[in-house]
Amino acid sequence: MTRPLVLSLALTLALASGCKKKHEGASPEAHPSATGAAPSAVQAGPTTPDPPRLAGDAERGRSLVEKFECSRCHGGTGLAASPFEKHCITCHQDIWNDKFKAKPDKIEKWKKTVQLYLNAPNLEAAGARYEPAFIQAFLLRPHKLRPNMISSMPRLRISDQEAADVAAFLTKGEKPAAEAPVGDEAAGRQVLESKACGTCHVFTGVPDLPVKPTLTKPWQKGNDAIELAPDLRFVRDRMSFGMLTRWLLDPTKVRADTLMPKMGLSEKESKDAAAYLLKAKLAPAPKKPIPTRLPVLERKVTFEEVEKEVLLKTCRHCHTNPDIARGDGGPGMTGGFGFVPRKLDFSTYESTNGGLLDLKGERMSVFTKTKDGTPLLVASLLARQKEEAGELDPELRGMPLGLPALSAEQVQVVESWVAQGRPQ
Amino acid sequence: MKKLGAMVMVAVSAFAMVGSVASDAKACGGEWVPAVEIDHRPEGIARAEKTLKKGEHAAAAGMIIRMMPHVKDLKAKKDGTLVARAQRILALAVARNNGALPIDKELPSYVQGTWIGKTSKDKAANLEWSVAALRKLNDIKKDDAAVQSDLAEALAKVEKHRAEAKEILEKLAQKDLVATPEAYATLAELRSAAGDSEGQKVALKRCESMAKSANVCRAAA
Repeated sequence: MTRPLVLSLALTLALASGCKKKHEGASPEAHPSATGAAPSAVQAGPTTPDPPRLAGDAERGRSLVEKFECSRCHGGTGLAASPFEKHCITCHQDIWNDKFKAKPDKIEKWKKTVQLYLNAPNLEAAGARYEPAFIQAFLLRPHKLRPNMISSMPRLRISDQEAADVAAFLTKGEKPAAEAPVGDEAAGRQVLESKACGTCHVFTGVPDLPVKPTLTKPWQKGNDAIELAPDLRFVRDRMSFGMLTRWLLDPTKVRADTLMPKMGLSEKESKDAAAYLLKAKLAPAPKKPIPTRLPVLERKVTFEEVEKEVLLKTCRHCHTNPDIARGDGGPGMTGGFGFVPRKLDFSTYESTNGGLLDLKGERMSVFTKTKDGTPLLVASLLARQKEEAGELDPELRGMPLGLPALSAEQVQVVESWVAQGRPQ
Repeated sequence: MKKLGAMVMVAVSAFAMVGSVASDAKACGGEWVPAVEIDHRPEGIARAEKTLKKGEHAAAAGMIIRMMPHVKDLKAKKDGTLVARAQRILALAVARNNGALPIDKELPSYVQGTWIGKTSKDKAANLEWSVAALRKLNDIKKDDAAVQSDLAEALAKVEKHRAEAKEILEKLAQKDLVATPEAYATLAELRSAAGDSEGQKVALKRCESMAKSANVCRAAA
């Protein structure tokens, strides 16, 4: 599916630009962020994941977990953890806790970036906790599942079948039995309130739980449970009734080192709580509004400002010069997480102008105009804002990947700089 | 057993002596400070890169020659190494000064070599070195538009390479990949020399919108 889509796009664009005068007419080529494996229904909301329900092959899934380097962030994938220099979470937590060997000024500088990626859920016993269809759908259309975490699952370059294969491997081929929820929903609500589930979880779509999670610092020991706690509105997508009651009764029996505490529920209480979690009437998912695109600035915007306001804050983590990043320029530069090396380096003015490799390995500008005339870099930033609102562009991956979208003002700075001819 | 006891005694007293020597040394002059050699070149090269960016080409070149007087003869094996970065700075500084670096006042004569470009032969040799150094970098860092822009800039300074320079820059410009205002200024000049005044204007406009200082584009106007 990948090649025909990209080729047809490239062909269309090549034909469209065929009559252009040769001078500086940035010739748009195959879209670099085209997923090539676009989900069929991009508009499906997170609570209605519309899983393709393909049969997955666990053996293929294993090699895909390796290819997508899931173990760089997640524990419990079934594969060995990545070595330290490749393990994002271990390395970031060491920096955050001043355990990393580097000069103190460097550590302070890095802390500002790594605070965005300090945790990732452990996938141990995934088969007893997640429906394979959920994993499949989530990999294709990742969304903000954990409201207290800054980072979220990145949108990988993954096909429907690959997602099903990964799900089959992670769940060890377990097929959850379809059990209709039985239990008293009102009593279940009482259980959630009396056990103060709101200490860690939010439950959007139902009346507020009496307690609310509070995170005083971005990450610290003891806050992990709050950071990793999912919004309970998604429980119905993730778990069957049987899974959920077992989990509520004694989570440690499902996953020994889970952060979810044993709440001392009776069998009836766990069924009631499960019934409420799975059947409570939900108000429509709160949709994050897409920020209004601001007009380009009239004042001069220099590269220095773009660098300070945007590139240094997020982009360089994945797009930098490998020589100053211990050999790994990040997935957007040297490749990783299933992405081929695109050689996009935002570390200097010159390298930013130097562009990236398209899917055919041809160098192209990161300012190439997309179909509507928006420069690719700006379009990618806008696409991320739309992704957060649940609108996935099948042809363009939003940036920054797996991080909150840039503000309208930040995008304005980038767009103005590009419009002004990219002043130094 | 007695023998073993005596050996232990000897070892213990030897150990104690070492300890007392160390504390004596401490007593007559404070702590012993090991001489650690600090390599200042990474910092110096970063500073030279910034200086080059500011348009102070000769100063940037001077910094490099002072740090690595033998830079010309070094071989950059990998992009991003100190040697590669130093050679890039020097090569660009040479090209932007047409082969003659005005460094006679800031560097002692024994390190100046041919860099001052007193004769046309020296200038030509300097420019050829600049082209060769950037070619080498281009070979190491394949398909890098920023390196290609630099290389084209140097090539344009040598008559026999001007066609090649134009070809590189035209290709980059077509894809909006010309990485520096200096490279756009070079393209404007090459187009002008080829009688393409319309193309010259376009390249010049790009140079002007990118450059911090209008001086960068002035020569190509």
